[in-house]
Amino acid sequence: MATVSLQRLSKKFAGAAAVEALDLEIGNGEFVALLGPSGCGKTTTLRLIAGFLQPDEGEIRIGDKVISSPSVLLPPERRSMSMIFQSYAVWPHMTVFQNVAYGLKIKKLPRQEIERKVVQVLRLVHLEPLKERYSAELSGGQQQRVALARALVVEPEILLMDEPLSNLDANLREEMRFEIRRLHEEFAITTVYVTHDQAEAMATADRIAVLNKGRLVQAGKPADIFDRPLTRFVAEFVGKANILTGELIGGGALRLTGGQWIQVAGDANAPAQGAAAVCLRPHHIRLTTDEAEAKKLAGAGYNLFSGVIQRLIYFGETADYAVDLAPHPFILRVVSPPAQLYQKGQRVFALAAPDHCVVVRDE
Amino acid sequence: MPTAGTETIGSAREGRWPGLKNWEPSLPVWLGAAAFLVCLMLLPLGSIFKASLWDEKGLTLDKYAEVFSNAAFLAAIRNTVVISFWVGMISVVIGGLFAWLVTRTDLPWKKTIRALVMASFVTPPFLGAFAWTLLAGPNAGLLNKLYRSITGREDALFNVFTMPGLILVMALYSYPYVFSMIANVCELISSDLEDAAEILGARKLRTAWTITLPLALPALVGGFIVAFLQSLSLFGTPAILGLPAGIHTITTQIWTFFQYPPRLDLAAAFSVPLLMATMLLIALQKKVLGRRGFSTVGGKGGQKRLVKLGWGRLPVLLAVLAILSLSVFLPYWILLKAALSKAWALPLDWDNFTLSNFSFALFQFSDTQAAILNTFKLGILTATAGTLVATLIAYITNRNLFPGARFLTFFALAPLVIPGVVLAVGLFIVYTQPPVVLYGTIWILFVAYLTKEMPVGYAQAESTFKSIHVELEEAGRIIGANRLMALKDITAPLARSGLIAAWCFIFIGVIRELSVSILLFAPNSKVVSVVIFDLKEEGQIGAISVMGILLLAVSFIIILGVRWLLDRDVVATGE
Repeated sequence: MATVSLQRLSKKFAGAAAVEALDLEIGNGEFVALLGPSGCGKTTTLRLIAGFLQPDEGEIRIGDKVISSPSVLLPPERRSMSMIFQSYAVWPHMTVFQNVAYGLKIKKLPRQEIERKVVQVLRLVHLEPLKERYSAELSGGQQQRVALARALVVEPEILLMDEPLSNLDANLREEMRFEIRRLHEEFAITTVYVTHDQAEAMATADRIAVLNKGRLVQAGKPADIFDRPLTRFVAEFVGKANILTGELIGGGALRLTGGQWIQVAGDANAPAQGAAAVCLRPHHIRLTTDEAEAKKLAGAGYNLFSGVIQRLIYFGETADYAVDLAPHPFILRVVSPPAQLYQKGQRVFALAAPDHCVVVRDE
Repeated sequence: MPTAGTETIGSAREGRWPGLKNWEPSLPVWLGAAAFLVCLMLLPLGSIFKASLWDEKGLTLDKYAEVFSNAAFLAAIRNTVVISFWVGMISVVIGGLFAWLVTRTDLPWKKTIRALVMASFVTPPFLGAFAWTLLAGPNAGLLNKLYRSITGREDALFNVFTMPGLILVMALYSYPYVFSMIANVCELISSDLEDAAEILGARKLRTAWTITLPLALPALVGGFIVAFLQSLSLFGTPAILGLPAGIHTITTQIWTFFQYPPRLDLAAAFSVPLLMATMLLIALQKKVLGRRGFSTVGGKGGQKRLVKLGWGRLPVLLAVLAILSLSVFLPYWILLKAALSKAWALPLDWDNFTLSNFSFALFQFSDTQAAILNTFKLGILTATAGTLVATLIAYITNRNLFPGARFLTFFALAPLVIPGVVLAVGLFIVYTQPPVVLYGTIWILFVAYLTKEMPVGYAQAESTFKSIHVELEEAGRIIGANRLMALKDITAPLARSGLIAAWCFIFIGVIRELSVSILLFAPNSKVVSVVIFDLKEEGQIGAISVMGILLLAVSFIIILGVRWLLDRDVVATGE
């Protein structure tokens, strides 16, 4: 059983904490993405799991066996893991075939078997015709596939990926996301995937762990992370967000700075009272100029704002507005289908369902 | 994000020895190499300080008092400073101008000029000095004979056995250091900066003067310091050109302390200020080159357009070739002529032609034969051992294998600040007494060369490892290779060419070494440079020339080989 368990994991570099008291459980066959801005500790976490770094505190277990702790460090080569690196790290002095075969050669498999397995995995990543090439003769995407094949052929219990797509161009990146997800569904290898790109994390992972400043902020299914962010940081890092601040009064009612009252989503995590912030996704806001319709929705429980279109950007698929809620001190960003376009300076009503107004910790 | 490879092998942590299961099997190799390096560097340096401060009575400053109250010794120090200053100035002028011409102008034959500067660089200074005694000795020097035959006068035009002669010849073989530093900088200065000035109406020379020169200034100062340092520690040229005129420098003075009766204590006391001076200068140079303003040059550099010299192209080219003829053409020509003549001072015609110098030096004369054998033996031994140690140390520091690994860089580069003569004094003191007596064998030379060439090998090995991304090795480890396997299968093959280059650089350094050898050789362990120095006393011009040509030929073949090897590598990896 290749479950990975990180417990109170900490690592300092030159006195500064890169990872701090990180707890994370990764189930067997689960695909977890570590998501966060650069410097958040995600790559350090991955290198701790790989055994290239030793933790200062806490421990890492596979199953119930401790593989890393301040006093134990199982070397990387004995962890039954594979890793895909940001630089691909395809060995330039070996052909594609030799690159992929290396891990099997070290395991001292018989030659025919090595041959069979390598060809099989190369076919899987569509590289078989290029097997005699050197890395200098491959494109970035092809090198990426070599790295993938090399990692898969040793049949690891755990697969680690460190920003594997960040050096590819946009189209190829999108294609490879689906490819990685497809391979995961085929092999179901326990996977830890580091990225700073939320779309990448959403496309590939079963579960996303959002890290900030060396700490785990929130872990959950992509939809949970997106719809129920726990903190302002998560709300703003994963997707676009309007953050409104105010004070919770109780009973799901919140008084915004500036005086307006709104109803917020009832959430077990949310505090009942006190200063609070609310995340409101731009695409969850409905605009209308029809006062009767606005009143009707408000009567049905929607939160009603009134404001003036301050800015409009037309994207084709959507229209992106900034709505000034003056005299309240907020500017709402709204993304709506461009079926009806509003003009700059036009007075509009903005409506949001209480369930879409999610209380987050202001941090 | 922390940079990759900043971690230490966990099992080396103090007080956290894990069970044998997690023992890093390669650790003894790394610790052994590190300990060896530290001993190699600390023993000679420590012994110099000790010898200069201690005698039978205990701690004393008498030696320093003796050295610094003697007028002759003080004159040697003064001479050294004067010589080094002027060598530095001339080197900066020649080296700086050459570098600018080669990188930023449309001067023709640039590749050839670069190659010839490289040839000056490869020429051992003592060989150049020897050639110049044949060219510009006051009586028999060929240039003076030519002058007399043209003008019909009796006096000499040049006398190389003078302070200016000494300075000029030293500068001829020091300016290439400045050249390579400035050329690197000039290649990085973007033409945009120069264009900006020209758009504002500055003329070409004015642009060069107001924009290019200030940008290159830190490199010029750095180059001056390097040339200054070179001449501080040079022994061969001052010994060959200065001693006959009674001009002593610090290095030749230290050498005389070794003549009978040897005064090791004085040699040690005299070495310490030289050591201090070089340390200070290196620190100064680091500061100059590391200043922030310098970083304007460090960018990618935009397009580089070349300054057009116009009608000046030909005269400038001729001037450049004239200077190169002083460092390369004339000396090489006289060496070749001397090697092929019965009487070197007579014209080389059919009657005067002979190959007997070659057969004498290579096959008959046992001194030269033994020296050639010793030199190549030492060259191969030192290059092999040196590459091995330098590789291990560079790997340790590059991958930071255990706590404090970075300090090893300091030890590996320490010989840069130790003039050869000083190093020899230290090694002499250490290895003439138990527990390890090496003096009288070639092994003391081996240790000396190993120490002296460590920076060259280390720098080359370090830059080789730096160019190999640590992830390449980690990619091997995570799929099952332990550290030594990954080293053998991945890092070593990728580093191969770079390490062969390190081997070659050490080898060349060894075969041309004089200032250490001259103090440490014994009658049965003479090397080529020492024999050349000895034969000069006996007037064996032909044999010396043969040996010199041999040294040059081997050096050039090896350098061309390295070039080819590294070029081929760059092409193969498609970088």
